[in-house]
Amino acid sequence: MSYFVGIDIGSTAIKLAITNPDGELVISRVTATGSNFRQNALDSLDDLLAITRIPRREIQALIATGYGRKLFREADDSISEITANALGAHRAGLSHGGVDTIINIGGQDTKAISIDHAGHVDHFVMNDKCAAGTGRFLDVAARNLELEVTELGEYHCQAEGVPATINSTCAVFAESEIIGLLASGHGKAEIIAGIHHSIALRTARLAKRVGLGERVLFDGGPALNCGLVSALEETLMRQLIIPAAPQTTTAYGAALLGCELEAISVMESTENPAAHLRADHE
Amino acid sequence: MSTPSKHTDTSPAAQREQGVSTLIRKRHKLEAGEMLRRLEHEFPDNPKAMEYFYNLFRQTYCEGLPPQTDKPLVGNMCVQVPDELIRACGGLPVRLCNGTHTLEQVGAENLPARTCPLIKATMGGFQSRAVAPFDKLTLVVNPTTCDQKKKASEQIREMGHELYLLEYPPVKDSEAAREYWRATVRQFARALPRYTGQRLTRRRLKQALGEIDRAQAEYRRLQKIRRSAPAPILGKDVFLVTGAYFFDDLARWTEALACLNDELESRVAAGFSAAQKRAPRILFTGSPPIFPNFKLPLLIESSGAVVVADEVCSSNRMLNDRVAVDEWFLYDMVDAIADRYLKPCTCPIFDTSVDRQRRLLELAQQHQVDGVVYQAFSGCQVYELEHRTVTAALQAEGLPVMYIETDYSPDDVGQLSTRIEAFIESIKARKRKI
Repeated sequence: MSYFVGIDIGSTAIKLAITNPDGELVISRVTATGSNFRQNALDSLDDLLAITRIPRREIQALIATGYGRKLFREADDSISEITANALGAHRAGLSHGGVDTIINIGGQDTKAISIDHAGHVDHFVMNDKCAAGTGRFLDVAARNLELEVTELGEYHCQAEGVPATINSTCAVFAESEIIGLLASGHGKAEIIAGIHHSIALRTARLAKRVGLGERVLFDGGPALNCGLVSALEETLMRQLIIPAAPQTTTAYGAALLGCELEAISVMESTENPAAHLRADHE
Repeated sequence: MSTPSKHTDTSPAAQREQGVSTLIRKRHKLEAGEMLRRLEHEFPDNPKAMEYFYNLFRQTYCEGLPPQTDKPLVGNMCVQVPDELIRACGGLPVRLCNGTHTLEQVGAENLPARTCPLIKATMGGFQSRAVAPFDKLTLVVNPTTCDQKKKASEQIREMGHELYLLEYPPVKDSEAAREYWRATVRQFARALPRYTGQRLTRRRLKQALGEIDRAQAEYRRLQKIRRSAPAPILGKDVFLVTGAYFFDDLARWTEALACLNDELESRVAAGFSAAQKRAPRILFTGSPPIFPNFKLPLLIESSGAVVVADEVCSSNRMLNDRVAVDEWFLYDMVDAIADRYLKPCTCPIFDTSVDRQRRLLELAQQHQVDGVVYQAFSGCQVYELEHRTVTAALQAEGLPVMYIETDYSPDDVGQLSTRIEAFIESIKARKRKI
C-alpha cells in the first residue's frame, strides 16, 4: 500500500495528515510549532507512522505547505496554503454536500477562498500584514481573561446580557480594552461574545470581497470555537459547514495534491513509449 | 557658551547632519547592493548583455558615481515631463521618482502616514541631498499630475530647490485640455533656456527628437521580442533596463539595449526559455517598480511565473509612445511633443480608465498573457480607486487579476509570497483544465 503525507507548518501549530491512494484520510494530528519546527515535524510524523504502523518506505510523497513550507527540506514538493486549503476543504466538504466558499482563520491570517467544482481556486483574499482578528487575537484575549482558548466557546454560550462592544480586533490593543471592560464590571461571557462578534464582522467583510457562495466551509483552529462559529453564522446569515478536523484540512489538501501528482506522473510514464520498453525488460 | 557659526563644519549640529548623510548613504548602498545581488545571482542564465546594466546600477547606487556630464541636471518628477525639450536646451533630464526604502523612511518624517511610498522616497532624496542626483540638480520640473506630487512642490521649494511647475490638465479628452497643455509646454520651452543656458533651436530639437526616438525604437524591438513564447528574458531584467533610462547616457543606453536585443533574438531563434516552459505569463500593471523596489516582480518570478509585459510608468508608459511630427517647424514640433505627453497617457489621474483598459487588453493579447498582477502603492488613491473598473474589464476577458496593495517596506514579503504562489498555482490549474 502507498500513502501520502501532507504537512502544514503554520505560525502556531504543525498539522500532519496521511491519506491512502484514494485520498481518504487515514489519520491527522496537530502539534505545536515550537522553536525547532523541523525536528518537531519529523518527530510528529514518526509518531503517526508508529501509531498507524505504516512503514516509512510506503510513503509515496511528502508535500509541505504553510509558512514553513520552503524551509522543510525533507518534503518532496511544496504548495501554497491557499491551494492546499482549497483542495482539502473541497474533499472534506463532499460528505457535507459540497462547498463553494472557504473561510479559514489561522494563527496569523484570515483567508476567504472561492473554489470551483473540482476544488481549484477561483478567487481568494487574505488579510494584509496586520494579524488583527486572527487566532492570535483569541489567544491574547483568553490570556487576559485567565482562560484557556478552548474554553472561549463554552463561555460565549453562557452569555445572557448584551455582548460587550469591542472596538479593536488588534491583538496589541485588545489587552487594554479587555482589562478596561473587566474593570467597568462587564461579565467574562459578555466580553467573549463581544470578541467573537467583532471577529465575525471583520471576517465577513473579507469574505464578501471574495463573493460569498451558498455552501460555506469554515476551518482553521478557531472553527473549533462554537461561540465564534455561531457569531459568524449570525453575521453571514448562513449555516456554516465545519469539517470533522478543521485544523488539518490544509495538511489534508497537501496530501491530496501528492495523490494527484502521483496520478499525473503515472499517466505520463504510461504515455511515454520509453517507459513501456523499460517495463518490458523488467 | 559659544555661538555656533554657520561657516564652520565642526559645530555639533553640522556634524550630526553629516553623520546622518553618511548613514543614509551607507544604508542606501546596502539596500541597492542586496537587490543587485539578488537580481544577478538568484536566477540562472541571465543574458550576457545584462552585465552592462548590472554594472551601471552598481556604479551609480553602490559606488556613488555621479552622472558623467558637464550638462546641467534637470530633475523630472514624473514621466509626463517632455525630455525632448530639456535635451534640446542642453540639459540632462534625470528621473527623480525613487524606489529606495531608506529614502522612503527619511521622507516619511515630514509627510502624512498614508502618503504614497514613491513620494516619500523622492521627498527623502530632496530632504537629505545625500545621494545623487538630488545633490546636483539645477532645476526640478514638477507636473501637476497627481495631487501628492503637486502638493510636494511647496516642500521642495522650502528645501531650497529651484522648481518649475508644469500645469497639467485633469482630463485629457477635451480640446480645451489639449490647448491648455500645449500652452503649458510652449511656455516651458520658452522658460527652459533661462535655467540651462542654451537656446532652443529647430535643429537642436529635431536632433533631440531623433535621439529619443532611436531609444524608443530599440525599446519597441525589445517589446516585440517579449511577445515570443517561451519567454527569452525575465521581467526583473527588463525593469532594470528601463530603470537605467532614468539616468543613463541616452546613446549608451540605446546601444546597450541593442546588444541585449541581438542576444535575445538569438535566444528566441534557439528556443531558449528564461523561465520554466509552463511558467504562467504575467502582465504587470499599476504602481511602478523602481529600483531597488523590485519586491513584487521578484516575488512573482521566484514563484515560478514570468513577467512578459508591463503597463507601468517606469517602463512601458515611459517608452512606448512616439512623438508624431507633421511639420518640422519649431513650434509644430513643440505642439507635437505636447500631444505625445498627454493623449496616450494611461495614468489613473484622469477621469476614466478606458484607455488603460484598452492598452492592458492589447498587451495581454500580444504577449499571450495568462494573468495580471495589479500593484497599488498604499496611499496612491487613484490606483486604488481605479482597480475595480480595470479588474472587471480584464476579468470579463477571462484574465485572472491579483490586486496587491503594498509599499517599499519588506515586512509583508511572507504574506505576499503566499498570495502570489497561490495565484500562480491557480493559473496553472486553470491551464491544465483547458
